[in-house]
Amino acid sequence: MLALIAGCSANPAAEHPVPSAPATAEGSVGPTPRPAPPAVPIQGTDLAPAAEVMPPVRIAIPDARIDIAVAPVGVLDTGVMELPAQVDVAGWYRFGPGPASAAGATVLAAHVDSLRYGRGPFSRLKELGVGATVTVTTADGAAHAYTITSNERVSKQEIPLDAVFDQAGAPRLVLITCGGQFDQGTGHYLDNILVTATPVAG
Amino acid sequence: MRRSLAVGSAAGCIVALGLVAVPAQAISPTTADLYVLHAVPATPVDVYVNGALTLDDFQPGDLAGPLDLAAGTYTVAITAADAADDSAPVIGPIDLPLAAGTSYTAVAHLGATGTPTATLFTNDLAKTAPGQGRLTVRHVAAAPAVDVLAGGSPVITNLANPAEAKLDLAAGTVSAAVAATGTTTPVIGPTDVAVQDGVNTILYAWGSLEAGTLAIASQTIGGLHSAPNAVPAGEAGLVADPDPAPFVWGAGAMLLLLAAAAALSVSRARSDRRELPARHGRSGR
Repeated sequence: MLALIAGCSANPAAEHPVPSAPATAEGSVGPTPRPAPPAVPIQGTDLAPAAEVMPPVRIAIPDARIDIAVAPVGVLDTGVMELPAQVDVAGWYRFGPGPASAAGATVLAAHVDSLRYGRGPFSRLKELGVGATVTVTTADGAAHAYTITSNERVSKQEIPLDAVFDQAGAPRLVLITCGGQFDQGTGHYLDNILVTATPVAG
Repeated sequence: MRRSLAVGSAAGCIVALGLVAVPAQAISPTTADLYVLHAVPATPVDVYVNGALTLDDFQPGDLAGPLDLAAGTYTVAITAADAADDSAPVIGPIDLPLAAGTSYTAVAHLGATGTPTATLFTNDLAKTAPGQGRLTVRHVAAAPAVDVLAGGSPVITNLANPAEAKLDLAAGTVSAAVAATGTTTPVIGPTDVAVQDGVNTILYAWGSLEAGTLAIASQTIGGLHSAPNAVPAGEAGLVADPDPAPFVWGAGAMLLLLAAAAALSVSRARSDRRELPARHGRSGR
């Protein structure tokens, strides 16, 4: 019984019936062309460098008087997202998509405040309304325009980080900072401010 | 994504070299993914699955798949590329039991002493920690046991044909080499290997030490990433919302209360002193 083989062809059984046994191992009149097998993807195995993502370098949101640099960031040893120490530099999660990626969320985050630098530009994220424009510029000079579609405050206990950092699905921009009440004991805010924006067509 | 450069009768769909990390979620609860790696030097072959020609004129160093197969056992036979049928295989027939929801790579390769054979490996699709990738190394070469060096230091030791070893590590570029076990003189490499977040990079040491054909083949499987587990983006409480609920008690809150109490007592002391006659000198403290 033929296995279902998914490749470039849909119906392997129709394309290559099992050949009947040859009459003799030698002395055939001429080679009978074997039916071609269904196409299977074939690739080489040379070592390749990592796929590069065009990084964002600036974010501007006129409605919130935000116009700041963006730097690539990763994670700390504890698995939390790393953030630039300065409140006026946003961090781009470098393991995820960028503004030029075909799918998934480009995630930018910045400190809402810090003990050293005080209140930051992202403290004004919570003022933004649906429809506000965001422009993210990438290292190649391209300007990517987005329109804000949602702005919410979510408890850190409940924020769906797998969805926030989704690398699949429609390309979008996600801006994150902290907000809500502040726990003096732990030195942390209880909520995240989560702004989502979709690319402006064209 | 895959694109057809040429569809010939022999080789099927040709895709871009090695740069596309196939998402792990191609498999399903009822099917398995099967890749086939041709790691016998210098010998193009045909591959038969359950008696049907599946890979025609398959070239050494090439990786085929994924074949999306219903769970079950498949009989694989590998013949010379010009064989008329699978009656005289050079490798096999061997039975490959494939479980649903699992990714496999079947490798045609030389055994430790040079005899062609085949080994079925299971590809680890477990999620990686945020910021980490996985390195899997498989010894399928005609060579004694090896150590795998990263940046000159062994990270995998005494790996023999046909075993594998794996480790998760921080995303970045690793200078990797293969050396005879217990030594640090490379027999392959050093060569830069990209460890990518959420990607299992599978390296095959293949070929023959005696024939001087040792090489590294690379296969990547992506889609294994995890999101960071928090976004801590504030620490000073300067923009905190007013708290309509009972005060969040903590050490800091207690200090505030004590400070408030101290300020109250100071202001009381000051007001007491103001009632004293002025001749006692400076007012206040």
